Amino acid sequence: MATTGNKNINAKLVLLGDVGAGKSSLVLRFVKGQFVEFQESTIGAAFFSQTLAVNDATVKFEIWDTAGQERYHSLAPMYYRGAAAAIIVYDITNHASFERAKKWVQELQAQGNPSMVMALAGNKADLLDARKVTAEEAQAYAQEHGLFFMETSAKTASNVNDIFYEIAKRLPRVQPAANPSGMVLMDRPAERTGGASCCA
Amino acid sequence: MYKTQSNRDLALELQSQIPYLRPSIHARRANIVVKFQDLYGFTVEGNVDDVNILNEVREKVREQGRVWWALEASKGANWYLQPQVVSISQGIALKSSLKLSTLANAITLKRLIRKGIPPVLRPKVWFSLSGAAKKKSTVPDSYYNDLIKAVEDKVTPATRQIDHDLPRTFPGHPWLDTPEGHATLRRVLVGYSFRDSDVGYCQGLNYVAALLLLVMKTEEDAFWMLAVLLENVLVNDCYTTNLSGCHVEQRVFKDLLVKQCPRIAAHLEALEFDVSLVATEWFLCLFSKSLPSETTLRVWDVLFYEGAKVLFHTALAIFKMKENELLLSHHVGDVINILQKTTHHLFDPEELLTVAFDKIGSMTTNTISKQRKKQEPAVMAELDQRLRRLNTLKMDDK
Repeated sequence: MATTGNKNINAKLVLLGDVGAGKSSLVLRFVKGQFVEFQESTIGAAFFSQTLAVNDATVKFEIWDTAGQERYHSLAPMYYRGAAAAIIVYDITNHASFERAKKWVQELQAQGNPSMVMALAGNKADLLDARKVTAEEAQAYAQEHGLFFMETSAKTASNVNDIFYEIAKRLPRVQPAANPSGMVLMDRPAERTGGASCCA
Repeated sequence: MYKTQSNRDLALELQSQIPYLRPSIHARRANIVVKFQDLYGFTVEGNVDDVNILNEVREKVREQGRVWWALEASKGANWYLQPQVVSISQGIALKSSLKLSTLANAITLKRLIRKGIPPVLRPKVWFSLSGAAKKKSTVPDSYYNDLIKAVEDKVTPATRQIDHDLPRTFPGHPWLDTPEGHATLRRVLVGYSFRDSDVGYCQGLNYVAALLLLVMKTEEDAFWMLAVLLENVLVNDCYTTNLSGCHVEQRVFKDLLVKQCPRIAAHLEALEFDVSLVATEWFLCLFSKSLPSETTLRVWDVLFYEGAKVLFHTALAIFKMKENELLLSHHVGDVINILQKTTHHLFDPEELLTVAFDKIGSMTTNTISKQRKKQEPAVMAELDQRLRRLNTLKMDDK
């Protein structure tokens, strides 16, 4: 395979966030390039995998998309245990979902893997007219707590691939790659080969 | 409110409308994936072999119907609804009233139900054998209508969540995903959320109630089935605040897997695969989100008659069926793919139920209860610990 000289990284990634923030939609957009208005409600969690090539490695994400309803949060530790990365999702049109996101950050920082890469996603960025959480407020919070922040839209695909690429780049590398500039040839949809250049 | 007769007989209608699909030899060779509707109107994607299996299942359902009619002819109408037959099979018979013929009937019935209840008889048989009929008989006849009327315009966190989930419950289903389907499902779920405010509404119940609606003749009967399920059939607190009952079931399940499928359990443990990652959804949705509809309902046939132990039999069987493949897997992702592929393609209920009841050692409701008791303290301690940890975090934040 063409991955010789490159590293293959398996990374468990968990999505957490309030009910209806769009966790499943983000995953569906990233994994299948699709968006549906009414996504089946997730019970427990749903599993997906997707492979990305970043310049020095191939990252295979094993994604756990968790259920949002409050009472399901007692199941969350099972899904974030051993995770290398987390995306904490809130809905920019719903301030309560931003508050809920902060609680997830707290919980992960106290319980999760200390080297976990954490991203904060302000989803539904296409609904500008209904915005309740400013990008500045979220950015400030993210900076203070050592996360990186992006506003995303699963509907328009804005920043969706980018957030996963950014995570892939930030994942700790165990050893330096033997061939950092090598090209990775893989069987994957063409739209993702463009990397972080999607419609922003 | 109940003008939906035509829709309620959906299963039958679809059964008569859908012609046998006869895939051409070319389609077979190309292993083309086709989309079709199953007995209950769900869109299924499968290959040609799956279509053939579904056709065979339809034929078996008809045969099973003939068996039930023949018994009805020889034993009398509704022989299976006699209270004594019901209670014996559930292990609560009074010795003094035990007649040999009743006992024989009970044995016949148990076997018969494991072979499947014909879809037309399901509403009647479920309603009676599950205890729903008895539950309903203890309240005034107008209970359901009064309840629905009284809560119609109320807004609670539960109703908000229900409204959010209605279009997300089996989207695309020809009846459930219509304004009428949404309204009916809403009434059942909202009604129940007021009947038991500890449960209120828990995501997952939307799928369970939706499938109950498709099977039962009226929404009122679906409501009572939901009530008996949550109040009598399943473990307590399965759907309440922190899903503690669900946590208990998962621990019991893990223990059973070690006992019944030790090689699989050891292998998965080595892969650091927690079986609850997949089994939680199975238990909360009672397989309705993972198995094809007729297969799910065959599990429910037995569930309503023999109790919640059936969920363990079924879950264990899914692992058992794929023992060899699972033992060869090296990765968490592989395990999940094997299990998902298996459940989604279990179009032949017999394949699953044979393993569930013949290859999995027998368990009694009693042993399961004991196991639950054993696990409860650990679950409570764990949930409590998490809560306290989170509370400390909040304090630190201030």
